[in-house]
Amino acid sequence: MRKKSVMALFLVGIMLTGTLWGCGNDKGGESSLNSQSGSSEEGQDEKTDAADTDDVVDLEMWITNPGYLAVEKGGVMYNFYKDLIGVGLTEPYVEWNGGQTYGEALNMRIIAGEMPDIVQPVNGVETGLAKEGALLDMTELLPEYAPNLWNYVPEKTWNVMKSYDPTGEGRIYMIPLVIDYTRHGAMIRQDWLDKLGLAMPSTQEEFVEVLRAFKTRDPNGNGLSDEIPTGGRAEARWMDYLFAMYGIAMWEGFPEWDIYDGELTYSAVTPNMRDALEFISGLYQEGLLDEETLINDKASWDGKVSSDQVGVFYQWPERSYQYATDIYNAVGVKAEWTVMPVISAEGYEGFYTTKPTAGVNNVVKNTEDPKKIEAIMKVMDAYGDPDLRDILTLGPEGMHSHRDENGNLVKSPVDKTTQEHLLLDPNGGFSDVESVVHQLELNMTEEDAWAIEKSIENAREVQKYGKVIAGDGIPATIYDGYDDIENRTLYVEYASKIIAGEWPIEKFDEFVEKWYAAGGEEVTRAAREWYAATQE
Amino acid sequence: MIKESLKDRLFSGIITVILAILAMIAMIPLLSEAAISFSSKAASDMNRINLWPVEFTLDSWKYILTKGKIWPAFFITLSSALAGTVLALGITSLMAYPLSKKKFKAGKYLMVYVVFTMIFKAPTVPYFLTLKNLGLYNSYWVLVFPHILTAYNLIIMRTFFRQFPEEIEEAAIIDGCGHFRLLARVVLPSSKAVLATLGLFYGVTIWNQYQHPLMFIQDMDLYPLQLKIRQIIDGGGDFQAITAVRHVNYTEATLSAAAVVFAILPILVFYPWLQKYFAKGAMLGSVKG
Amino acid sequence: MQEKGTEAKTGTKIKTKADAKANIKAVRHIKRFWPYYVMVTPGVIYLLVFRYIPMLGSVIAFQDFSVVKGIAGSDWTGWKNFQKLFQYQDFYKILKNTVILGALKILAVLPVPVLLSLMLNEVKNQKLKKGIQTVICIPYFLSWVIIGGLVFDLFGSGGLFNHIRNALGMKNLLVMQKESWFRPIYVFSSIWKEAGWGTVVYLAAISGMDPGIYESASIDGAGRFQKMRYITFPLLTPTVLTMFLLNIGSFLELGFEQVYNLYTPMTYAVADIFDTYVYRAGIQQGQYSFATAVGLFQSVVGLVLVVIFNHLSRKYSQEGGLW
Repeated sequence: MRKKSVMALFLVGIMLTGTLWGCGNDKGGESSLNSQSGSSEEGQDEKTDAADTDDVVDLEMWITNPGYLAVEKGGVMYNFYKDLIGVGLTEPYVEWNGGQTYGEALNMRIIAGEMPDIVQPVNGVETGLAKEGALLDMTELLPEYAPNLWNYVPEKTWNVMKSYDPTGEGRIYMIPLVIDYTRHGAMIRQDWLDKLGLAMPSTQEEFVEVLRAFKTRDPNGNGLSDEIPTGGRAEARWMDYLFAMYGIAMWEGFPEWDIYDGELTYSAVTPNMRDALEFISGLYQEGLLDEETLINDKASWDGKVSSDQVGVFYQWPERSYQYATDIYNAVGVKAEWTVMPVISAEGYEGFYTTKPTAGVNNVVKNTEDPKKIEAIMKVMDAYGDPDLRDILTLGPEGMHSHRDENGNLVKSPVDKTTQEHLLLDPNGGFSDVESVVHQLELNMTEEDAWAIEKSIENAREVQKYGKVIAGDGIPATIYDGYDDIENRTLYVEYASKIIAGEWPIEKFDEFVEKWYAAGGEEVTRAAREWYAATQE
Repeated sequence: MIKESLKDRLFSGIITVILAILAMIAMIPLLSEAAISFSSKAASDMNRINLWPVEFTLDSWKYILTKGKIWPAFFITLSSALAGTVLALGITSLMAYPLSKKKFKAGKYLMVYVVFTMIFKAPTVPYFLTLKNLGLYNSYWVLVFPHILTAYNLIIMRTFFRQFPEEIEEAAIIDGCGHFRLLARVVLPSSKAVLATLGLFYGVTIWNQYQHPLMFIQDMDLYPLQLKIRQIIDGGGDFQAITAVRHVNYTEATLSAAAVVFAILPILVFYPWLQKYFAKGAMLGSVKG
Repeated sequence: MQEKGTEAKTGTKIKTKADAKANIKAVRHIKRFWPYYVMVTPGVIYLLVFRYIPMLGSVIAFQDFSVVKGIAGSDWTGWKNFQKLFQYQDFYKILKNTVILGALKILAVLPVPVLLSLMLNEVKNQKLKKGIQTVICIPYFLSWVIIGGLVFDLFGSGGLFNHIRNALGMKNLLVMQKESWFRPIYVFSSIWKEAGWGTVVYLAAISGMDPGIYESASIDGAGRFQKMRYITFPLLTPTVLTMFLLNIGSFLELGFEQVYNLYTPMTYAVADIFDTYVYRAGIQQGQYSFATAVGLFQSVVGLVLVVIFNHLSRKYSQEGGLW
């Protein structure tokens, strides 16, 4: 018996040590953990040393990061910015995931009282922050300490930023996202047109004829009838040019606000939209639109374009080189993507939507510390500094850029395993057609010149067809409390079903009615009030 | 042993064939990911890959295994899964055992206490703040501690313990065995199938977790495997920018496929090894023996 | 429970007879069961710290929570967030969809692993059995993004489904954009991804069964099917019942990932559920209060269901329910 109980004790002991051993067993992880915390402590030491010696203010910045490495104190990017503008910038890696994960992580940091210094806001978080006094009022600071940015951004845009002040005082808490050019347009395979002896279409009839020819006359010459004349992606996105024929303001599939019938109106509920959907539905029934248009995700649709199957698609013309080189890499054909002039449906004036004030790029955490404010203004000024633009775009030599054979600095290809995030990229926040062209030039190599030169041509060409919409800069706050309107849930459901032929076009009238009843009335009122106020 | 009748053999045979077909269907997702991971950039760009690699290449795997910094993440995940499983089995069996005793009247109230946590979940914000106050923000241990006791697993374990033959326990008690010794000496050693099951559940939860690290871990050096994979995948998202053309033979899709396969392989090695504890009669056999 | 213990220790001071009797009972209880109390203590404390304390934060459901002001500083709004949910114009649509998909999950998906386990138990070749057992678990380890993508491929215009249709002389049918196909696809994909993994717990339960019973049944001339039907299945019932009770508690919480990766605007009408609505209206917009309110509603429904079915299972099975 005695022996038995000793045994039992022993077993309990084993159980307990088992638990302990479990902790000990992960020494691998722990020691690596220790070494990490050790190294970060070292980093801290460096920090204090650095602070003592050269008195650099460190700012934590959060910007969309599509998978690059974090920017850490003492690292390459950190030193690059420190040397260039005299400010230490850091950025942890935060997953973007369409803004969802990023937004959540940002909210948690704010809730914990640790908001980063400079932030790219998502999901309208900036309004609440401004309302609670958590943001730095930059109204007087910007003209004085960041003159480059202040002068670069048009005054009209600053006025829109003033209208975003939720307290109604007209203060500037937000740095705008400026896209001062027409970014989107339809592109057509010029080489297919040439091969079939067709002219660039300029009317709707000609356009439909071209699509028919693409479908039936084997322009890719592989002997299969695998051509997809045109198409788009799920939620009736990325085929805006078909809507544009009817004068519909739209941004990558999101209906926008413009003047219809003399008043600011949501483009999805206009008669223009009714006619556009009828036309698009007709294309779909005839098989001229990709059969999978309404279920394509990005990868599927891009895959079809890359497979040398698609004749017309809607994209950023400046990126046509990426699709062209993908096709070349896949099937060895040098595809000639050319901007297709805007086509007007009968009785309508077609245009490509241009939105110079595309939203809010940055907000800054409120602070009283003059040193910090000085550093923040240095960053803001650098954003708009024409002399720094090239070097900020190119990034540090050896990481983001290298010398070509002529000794000029050019961009290096993306390698996310070794490159830290280029977090102060003026092109991300402030761009016009010249900056885009210049960026393309910096990325050009001899091998890809054929494609990139075409991109430059396209980027310039599409400017002819753009129109700044009346709803440019409209704040998301007009949707407050009407999530389904903001998410355009009702619109995509009706639009998709009408295009797919599940529902007749008559259903569109029901949609308009429902939309107004579900809050469209209130949202429209708020939109028009905002418009009236900014017109003053 | 009585020889099986023809009917029985036929019955068994048909079932085996059906299961084999189902197993093949279950293989499709992994096969397709593996095929993508061994395919070229062109094939991936064109979405031309089904269940077999197109233009076979090892480039994605080379990238993942050498440049992707996936090994530190792998060891962090492995160590946390091991530590977490051991802790979880300890705390769960300690609690499940008394709760399986019908004579333990307080167990009923404790069960309500447990079930409540299964139905009502903590909202994101207070959960984040609580764990942060516990010092788990940006800490290795946030990979372990939040997962070492769930109502779901506790209840499963309790259900198994309930089926444990009372006579054996009573005999042990009469032999003068205390409750702790009973649990350690008699119950647990004969519950290998349960421990294996629950160990698997806890281990896989920790292995596959990304919600917690996503929310709590910012230091890239502490990234577990699944976050590393998400980092690779996230680069292939909707984000668009002008970048120099890459003349490489992989895409975000092939890289993430390789990473996904890489993360599953250890489980596929581990699970068959665990299955020996599921052998028929393992539980009672060891009790009697 | 702990309180009872301390009360018992100080119990000697209490004078009345009835109390004394109760105390003697309590002392006896403690004397007999103290090891049990010690055993449950770590778990009780753990649940308190990691589950109950953060759960108190559910009060934000009654606030207009602001990330800047925090829980302490945010304004109280009473039942406003719940009203918003119940007055949502599509509330009945999402309720109906959630209930139907939830019921399908319980009725059509939950029994599959039981069936698979019973079948696996009949495979004689042990190596083959192990192999199948492992392989059918694989889809569980892949995310819904991947599984959803494969489902779209399978039913896309170049997918297997339409190849078969074409071979049979039928035209392409894109079922992913057909309302009537969403529910079958939901069930199919749930089974594909989760049924294999679901067998683990049942196989463990089967391994615990007494081989003696089978031997005596064989002597009595029972065939494989009879043994499966009359021995294995009944012995598996307590586990099945437990799994059912565990799942019914989250009846309205189907998870956002699966539906999100399977639906299209053309199937919204049958696919939109609470979790996708919360994603749209709550999490995406940073409305934590609203998301919490919806979560509370789902939990209350889950609680009611668990209480009802727990009661029923105690009534009809000697193994009893969860408590």
